Amino acid sequence: MNRRKMLALLGISPALVTGTPALGKPAARPPAGDSYEGSEERITVMNPAIANKLAPRVALAPRLKDLNNKLIYMINLSWEGPDAANYFYGAMTDWLHQHYTGVRTVVKVTAEGMFGTDPSVLKAIREDHADAVVVGVAG
Amino acid sequence: MNNIVHYALTYVRKYDTGMPLRFVAVPFPFTGQPKEVDVGYVTGKDMLTDQPMMHAVVDALTKPLTPEEKITGAPAEESVEPRLLPPDTEDNLRALFDERGWADYNWINLPTEKKVMAMLRGTSHKPDEVIKTINITGGARPLTVEKVAISAVMAGASPEHFPVILALATQAPFGNSTSSMANMVVINGPIAKKLKFNSGTNAMGPYNRSNAVVGRAFTILSKTAGDLRNGINAWESLGSNFQYNNILYAENEDALPEGWNPLHVQMGYKPSDSVVTVGTGWTSISSVGGSQELYPVHHLMRDYMSALTASGSSATIVMDPTVAGLLQTAHGFKTKEQLSEWFSQNAQKTAGNYWGNGVIQSVVVPLALQGLEPYASWRKLPNDAMIKPFTNPRAIHIVVTGGKIQTTWFVTDFGMRRGVKIDDWA
Repeated sequence: MNRRKMLALLGISPALVTGTPALGKPAARPPAGDSYEGSEERITVMNPAIANKLAPRVALAPRLKDLNNKLIYMINLSWEGPDAANYFYGAMTDWLHQHYTGVRTVVKVTAEGMFGTDPSVLKAIREDHADAVVVGVAG
Repeated sequence: MNNIVHYALTYVRKYDTGMPLRFVAVPFPFTGQPKEVDVGYVTGKDMLTDQPMMHAVVDALTKPLTPEEKITGAPAEESVEPRLLPPDTEDNLRALFDERGWADYNWINLPTEKKVMAMLRGTSHKPDEVIKTINITGGARPLTVEKVAISAVMAGASPEHFPVILALATQAPFGNSTSSMANMVVINGPIAKKLKFNSGTNAMGPYNRSNAVVGRAFTILSKTAGDLRNGINAWESLGSNFQYNNILYAENEDALPEGWNPLHVQMGYKPSDSVVTVGTGWTSISSVGGSQELYPVHHLMRDYMSALTASGSSATIVMDPTVAGLLQTAHGFKTKEQLSEWFSQNAQKTAGNYWGNGVIQSVVVPLALQGLEPYASWRKLPNDAMIKPFTNPRAIHIVVTGGKIQTTWFVTDFGMRRGVKIDDWA
């Protein structure tokens, strides 16, 4: 079969197969800075980055000597829902009761989820004179 | 540990909280597991210290503070970014830009001072004007007009694009999450024609310079101003290809059916205002083939909407002018608002489908627990009960674009913010 007919039957234009001399040429160089790609000329450019401001340091609260007779708040941030953290905190509570005398725990689900600070929870922590707070669970 | 716990221990501590908080870590995923798996983590090991989990928890609560943990006040060190980078060859500078994650790894215009100054002539605003301070993921970075001009040059934009890019900069950085969040940018008003933004055939494809460079500029300035770096503070598990261009297109205002207002006019702007609107979402479903009388187009859209989270009642439907015309003439929707109201009244999903979504669980469950309606009542429903989750028709946006070649459309969950007037940035 004639090569041209065969290509036509395959739906290919003979012109595409033949190509043109232009296809063999290197592509036009994209727009550059003030020098050329591969050039050893040194140029100066502006910095797109913005300096991060470092956060002022805040010390951690003093730690407890032990957990006996302490009140521990467990804050549930509801990451992807409150259930998983509730399961986790429930098992933590069981473990703490088995290992420490008089330890008390309170689990609170925040009203604002993980995106805000729930004032009512902060108030409860203060008014209950909680000894420690565990926050989570994030994923 | 190159994961999100490392992020909390380093980036967040340094730039956001300033507190060397004590962490314990469980394997991921934590949610969506059977109860016994989550309970089992308590008797398992802490991934950070490799000691039993509860020993690590007790240590965190009782181990005396280290000197590092007692530090207060202004940090001794300081982050510095010079205005100009040290002189180097073009190849080395390109390598540096890639290494620092400042662009999208496609070819950029290197931002020489000369090119940035030329870009700045596209606005009357001073180079040192602070557009906003970006504190997302911490860092309190002041985004100036000059920094936006640098990103605009890198993206290949021209000075006439600069007011659009500055208006976009007020919305930077683009939305980012651990799921595949993406962004949508809609151009309205006379600027669309003046700068030849595409609102016709292939409006949402790679066929137009203004759509391409302005969309790309939003990506680059979001990455630089947002300091978004993969594995440092950008944590999308799959990522989104939409983030290369942010689905930028213009609304085809000339082809709107009579009575259907352009997006910016719906938001209270004058038709003669030029406005850019940014939306954020995750999900986009494209129709295939032409609309059929057997199944009216708005019914199919409604059914596709059942796949959306309905978080914030948000949806944005992008449709070809032919679809808008059908909806007006064949189905009687005289305004966009009537159509949004119809979707709000008719889009349904099961309660199980609604609550079985992590975003709804994170954001809406806390509202339900406070007793906020209708969420509190919905939470009591059996899983197979039907609900109408798009409670706010004003959050369902309709945008018309495209070339009248096919009756196609996208249903998306993008929530559109209020548009920004471009003229204010000229």
